Amino acid sequence: MTSIERTRELLKGLSDGVVAFDEEAVAKLSRDVLEEGIDAQNAIMNGLAIGMEKVAELYVKKEYFVPELLLCADALYAGLDILKPYTKVEEQDVKLRIVIGTVEGDIHDIGKNLVKIMFEAAGWIVYDLGYDVKLERFVEEQLNTKSDIVAISAMMSTSMLAIPKVIEMVKTKDSNAAIMVGGAPMTRNTAELYGADGYADNAGLAVREALSVIARLRSATQK
Amino acid sequence: MTTGKDNQLQRSRQQANHVHLGLMSIGFCARIAGYPIVRMYDNPEKSFWAQVWTEEMYDCQGSPAYVVAASAAWDFGGDIKFPNSEWQQAPSVERYPVQSEEDVYRLELPDARTAGSIPFAMEFSKLCEHHHRPITLSITSPFTSTGNVCSLDRLCRWILKKPEVAHKLIGLVTNHLLQVAQYWVDTFGIGHVNLAVGTPSESNQVISQKQFEEFAFPYIKELHEKALGMGIRRILCHICGEQNLNLPYYAQIPMGNPGIVSFGHEVDLNTAIRYFGDSCVIAGNVEPQVIQNGTPQEVYELSKQCIEKGKQSPKGFVLMPGCELPPMAPPYNVYMLKKAVNDFGWYD
Repeated sequence: MTSIERTRELLKGLSDGVVAFDEEAVAKLSRDVLEEGIDAQNAIMNGLAIGMEKVAELYVKKEYFVPELLLCADALYAGLDILKPYTKVEEQDVKLRIVIGTVEGDIHDIGKNLVKIMFEAAGWIVYDLGYDVKLERFVEEQLNTKSDIVAISAMMSTSMLAIPKVIEMVKTKDSNAAIMVGGAPMTRNTAELYGADGYADNAGLAVREALSVIARLRSATQK
Repeated sequence: MTTGKDNQLQRSRQQANHVHLGLMSIGFCARIAGYPIVRMYDNPEKSFWAQVWTEEMYDCQGSPAYVVAASAAWDFGGDIKFPNSEWQQAPSVERYPVQSEEDVYRLELPDARTAGSIPFAMEFSKLCEHHHRPITLSITSPFTSTGNVCSLDRLCRWILKKPEVAHKLIGLVTNHLLQVAQYWVDTFGIGHVNLAVGTPSESNQVISQKQFEEFAFPYIKELHEKALGMGIRRILCHICGEQNLNLPYYAQIPMGNPGIVSFGHEVDLNTAIRYFGDSCVIAGNVEPQVIQNGTPQEVYELSKQCIEKGKQSPKGFVLMPGCELPPMAPPYNVYMLKKAVNDFGWYD
């Protein structure tokens, strides 16, 4: 039985490894976690995810930029690849879910990928549709997965015009769907104009905004 | 239909005491001319006339240019996809020519006369010369071009993990851009070519000030110094997006006398004037999404605010969108820029 101190040490090591974008350290610590019988889900949520939360804060504070985020994500995935196969299936059922993609006509996916990473790190199940995604794919995936959030990204002033159309298409088929948007040309005002339920200015704020949208919509439904 | 040297001179005289208007429009010109957006990229002649007609319609002083932001990928042997759906704005990279560290060391300089988009751009510039329009070679900066050659996320990883690989590739791309500039000067003569340089990937939404200092600044400086040295007349540098942290570095880079420096809405025009006003014409920075989604009154008010700040610039001011004019912007909203210039753009 691993001591509480040792468990804390490993979890902190995982968190610190993600922040320091030290892939090798994170991979080694993840193997140690399994060898020492520590719960994989605990290691993900209280080690890797805590590290990625700190990374998001550093990004919001402009201490980390896209290069650091990408390498932190590599370290995160080095750990997830080792730990995820050992999480229990029932834990998957209670997770929040998100459909995410860059809209049709747009191949810019760095921002979308950073947002995806933040949700994965926070323990969500992510259905990533990729980039240049046909509008009806968002609808199909939402109907198949009944996700808590549909997140749509656009980087161009032409492709952003597809967003209100997707929102209308998704809401027509699933009026309870919660939709978030983002991308360089988008603003909170535009998001509201287009009928989105939420907007995040950057990847570091996306998970918080999603949780806020879900809470707001659920509260409105209960009233 | 206004074309020709005399007409242009007449317009210059009329606007001498006036803030100028530039539209930074590509896809929008296709709409004005009734073409699909792809014509702006696959047909230099239609692209040229669509830009000339748009300038005429909005009575603005522009400089038609053939602009393919992803051209470096094409030049170095990658695959480009031209816009073919209603949501696409510009050519995009389908296959990056550099996908590994080994590719960087195998990569050779492309032929600066025949590679990728260069023949299209040269045909366009010859039309500009023939019709007495300014000749502008439009490129993206070394860092942004390199992101198009190897993908921006790969470049971002290399600048932290393999800085020597990043420097090697950015240096090679810089040499290519300089060879292209030399080809233009050789073709049209010293003092007859302007260079437009866009720098979107240098944004502090992507890289830090420190990363800009090491991986962008020295290469832009080298590009500008050598381009001006070989006989480029002036440089229009579009400092795209949120780049406030990078401004002290840009201020050390020569732009020509005077150069033109344009900004996104993220940089306040008073800040821009403080850094560049003594040496450059300032241009910008009406937020494009307001032009696309706002009311005419909102566009007019925003333009007025830009003009009131920009008019204080000692070397002059050009009212422009903060980035490419959205192709689908309502034409009446675009007219609000012109109306604001007419109403508020006169110097005392």
